[in-house]
Amino acid sequence: MTLAVAATNDWLRRFAQSVVDNEQLLTDLDAAIGDADHGSNLRRGTLAVVEQLETEPASTIGGALRAAGMTLISTVGGASGVLYGTFLLRMATSVADRATATAPEVIAALRAGLEGVRTRGHAELGDKTMVDVLAPAIDALDAAVASGASLADAASTAAIAAQAARDATTGLVARRGRASYLGDRSVGHVDPGAASTALLFAALAGALAETTAVDA
Amino acid sequence: MTGDTPSQPRVGLVLVSHSPALAAAARELALEFVGGPAPRIAIAAGRADGATGTNATRVAAAISEASQGVGVVVLTDLGSAVLAADMALELLNGRIDARVVPAPFVEGLLAAVVRASAGDDVDTVAREASAALDPKRTLLPGDDGAAVEVAAPSEPAATPSAEVTTVVTVRNEGGLHARPASELAALAASFTSDITLTVAGRPPAPARSMLSISMLVAGPGTIMHIAATGDDAREAVDAISALIEGGFGEALVGTDGPAASVIEPQRAAESGALGVSAGRVVGPVAVLVHRIDEPSATVILAPPARRAAAGIVVDAMTATAADYRRRALKVEGHRREVLDATAAIAEDPLLVEVATAAVRERGVTPERAVWEAVGRAAAEYRAAGGDLADRVTDLVDVRDRVIAELTGTEPPGLPERDAPYVLVADDLAPADTVTLDPTRCLALVTEQGGPTSHTAIIARELGLPAVVGVAGATAIADGTLVLVDGDTGEVIVQPDAAAQATATGVITTAPFAGPGQTADGHRVVLSANVGAPREIARAVERGAEGAGLFRTEFCFLDRADEPSIDEQVEAYREVFAAFPGHRVVVRTLDAGSDKPLPFLTPIVEPNPVLGLRGVRTAIRDPEVLERQLRAIAQAASLERADVAVMAPMIATLGETREFAARARSAGIASVGIMLETPAAAITAAELCSVVDFVSVGTNDLSQYTMAADRMSAALAPLANPWQPALLRMIRLVGEATAASDTPMGLCGEAAADPDFAAVLVGLGATSLSMAARAIPTVGARLADVTLEQCRAAAAAACAAPDPEAARAAARASLG
Repeated sequence: MTLAVAATNDWLRRFAQSVVDNEQLLTDLDAAIGDADHGSNLRRGTLAVVEQLETEPASTIGGALRAAGMTLISTVGGASGVLYGTFLLRMATSVADRATATAPEVIAALRAGLEGVRTRGHAELGDKTMVDVLAPAIDALDAAVASGASLADAASTAAIAAQAARDATTGLVARRGRASYLGDRSVGHVDPGAASTALLFAALAGALAETTAVDA
Repeated sequence: MTGDTPSQPRVGLVLVSHSPALAAAARELALEFVGGPAPRIAIAAGRADGATGTNATRVAAAISEASQGVGVVVLTDLGSAVLAADMALELLNGRIDARVVPAPFVEGLLAAVVRASAGDDVDTVAREASAALDPKRTLLPGDDGAAVEVAAPSEPAATPSAEVTTVVTVRNEGGLHARPASELAALAASFTSDITLTVAGRPPAPARSMLSISMLVAGPGTIMHIAATGDDAREAVDAISALIEGGFGEALVGTDGPAASVIEPQRAAESGALGVSAGRVVGPVAVLVHRIDEPSATVILAPPARRAAAGIVVDAMTATAADYRRRALKVEGHRREVLDATAAIAEDPLLVEVATAAVRERGVTPERAVWEAVGRAAAEYRAAGGDLADRVTDLVDVRDRVIAELTGTEPPGLPERDAPYVLVADDLAPADTVTLDPTRCLALVTEQGGPTSHTAIIARELGLPAVVGVAGATAIADGTLVLVDGDTGEVIVQPDAAAQATATGVITTAPFAGPGQTADGHRVVLSANVGAPREIARAVERGAEGAGLFRTEFCFLDRADEPSIDEQVEAYREVFAAFPGHRVVVRTLDAGSDKPLPFLTPIVEPNPVLGLRGVRTAIRDPEVLERQLRAIAQAASLERADVAVMAPMIATLGETREFAARARSAGIASVGIMLETPAAAITAAELCSVVDFVSVGTNDLSQYTMAADRMSAALAPLANPWQPALLRMIRLVGEATAASDTPMGLCGEAAADPDFAAVLVGLGATSLSMAARAIPTVGARLADVTLEQCRAAAAAACAAPDPEAARAAARASLG
């Protein structure tokens, strides 16, 4: 069970679709503790990614992720574009020009992406950022694969972990980004970046489940 | 000194901001401080779609743009700007030595610009930018009182080389504000010695740090200690004390020497000053102020001073009211009522109470209090609409006059003078000149404007010498004696007796006998452009055969509402009565562009020159045009002038038909159009079929043919009427009018040039209308040449490659 180019494209497309479906939710979350543009910014960026992938289809996983990352960086116009862009670019560097990636290679790429986000945003666990979803979700994926689960099943596990982690950001005090200006008043709200990151893992699980269904 | 040359590459700077406006403003501010060659400052601001945000790929592009190969320093505003800059470095992958610095956006930029322009390396620029907040921290220690150490003059050397010191007094009017500070810092950076500036009560400032120098707050008269250690310490101290003593090119305080001349003649010539109306006169300057700057809201008076300040507000409002009443006595009728009513506003008890309360209770300055109190009343009037909204202009006038009274400055509008004066302004709009009295105003000098700008036109109409494009003219103090030469473009401030003796006053010419014709008897009607009744006498005196262009908007300009038909009839009759038996061509209202009218044209248009102006305003509001046509017809029926009307800014056959139908049904006998758009020139044959005459407006036809704003001093060469493209455009019209036997007039400024007038006759013009002053010289020139010569001159000029060649070719043909 591996991640193929088609599944990578499908992942990015599904992410775009769920960002569009959840735009209002993301914007509402951002309105509470930020500047109410996360939904619209990310929608613009992910739709541009879909367009990019359709105009110039990539032949490698790294190519698809790199194109997606660059597109997000140049179209989103806020911190989320740079952070998601960094995440995907680091993943791209990690998987390089493979046409398929094994589970360990996918995990290594995700961890490289997480490291990029951490460095770029100077964010650590507990700062109420997308790192608070990325880290536990990747850990869950890693653990599931280690215990013998297929990549698709492990991704489903990661998606569920991501949702739980997203909800857990409610209790945190924001220490990075616009929300940090609110200090204690950021407690009680889900972090919008965490929410969109959870969508990213749900999209990955969906794309890999689809692949499995086709394989079967 | 180090060998800085303009060609030496500088460290580039990049501004990363969420807001393009913020970044552009910061750059503009910073560039004001540049002493030497400016570094490249590239901006990466806003999202790709223009909205607020940041974009890392644009940051990367901006770094490439700013780079001259010696490194780039990146300054960011906040949040994602920092992330985007960081990302950009990754995208560039080390190809350019770029540093994202933890510097405050504005202070960091200023510091970086000064260092980069001094030719410092990227490490120094980055370090100085990062430390840019230190001087402010020292000046404003936080609550914890932990003032940051000012970057101290470097550690005393173990074996100190001899320290060279001296003491100077700051002498320039503005003191060591930002620009002198940056000049000083740049000079200090050119020495290897460590240089420190000290004034009493402040931390010593390293002389290389512009911001530290600024924080010395050294005003004129401040005594400053300069100390330097190092190999070139002596030279450094001498050079810096000379710079400070020299006053940075500003006026000096507390010296007996002559005040520096603001504008040297040679400097005026270099800066693009252009004589646009002949004559050489001497007189005292009166500066026309267009608006009062908003008084600071942050200056707060100490409580003990507030009672007296409130009293000053009352005095100023009373004095302003008295001034309105005094002026009311000088005029009659409606204008007197308006001035009396405005006087009542100026001392309205409620307004006085609101303004004085703001001073007493909040401690705002008197001028700020007036600004706020009257501003609020104006906003309420505006919101109320109707008659009250019409009074907003009066309220603003009250506000400005009270503030001028408080601050001892000139109120906006034409200066009120009983003695002759030279009018100086940034630029003159038609509305400014409506009440200009040519018996008091000696000459016009403006900072803006080209040879066909409104200033030039009004000056020629009034026969006043004028020079446009004089940079810095409005900085000349009121009352300063200047010599103005409208031929050479000279403006000499405080001319000496010898120079004053060269002034000759306004040039006058013998009256023209008329009628206009060429040497071989080809008739050319020479008439005057008339824009206001006061110009009639001059036109008649110069022998004008009627008015080829009667600009009616001058009757509308100083008003918030449309004049009634009766008022218009009265105004038009005044002009018609001056030319019994002669032709008067009335141009219908040409509002818009540089002549906005509040009741007719949009307040804000992105591009008014190409907007709703001229006959186009009738699309929005045909009623105004209808009433004007009725008024013209009625006035014509009461006088003996041969009255015709024409519409400005015609572009299509449809507009022409519609206008002609309206004019004829209003009872106008002769209907024509202005040919001033390329569209009309190209379709002239069709247009001629529906009108009785056409009149080429060279000013606008030139501006639209050359796509060059005629108000722009920089584009003056394009506005030259000898441009072959303009000549050929006029030739198109001449061919169409000749084929249909339609009279072709010409009423632009260009007709006042005698050689050009001959060329126009050669192109088919049957009448020329110009500033009255030019009629005698043009008449004399035409009487000198044959129609055949005019045609040969026209053909030669049209075939020439450029304006100079066109003029030379025409002259050659005219002999």
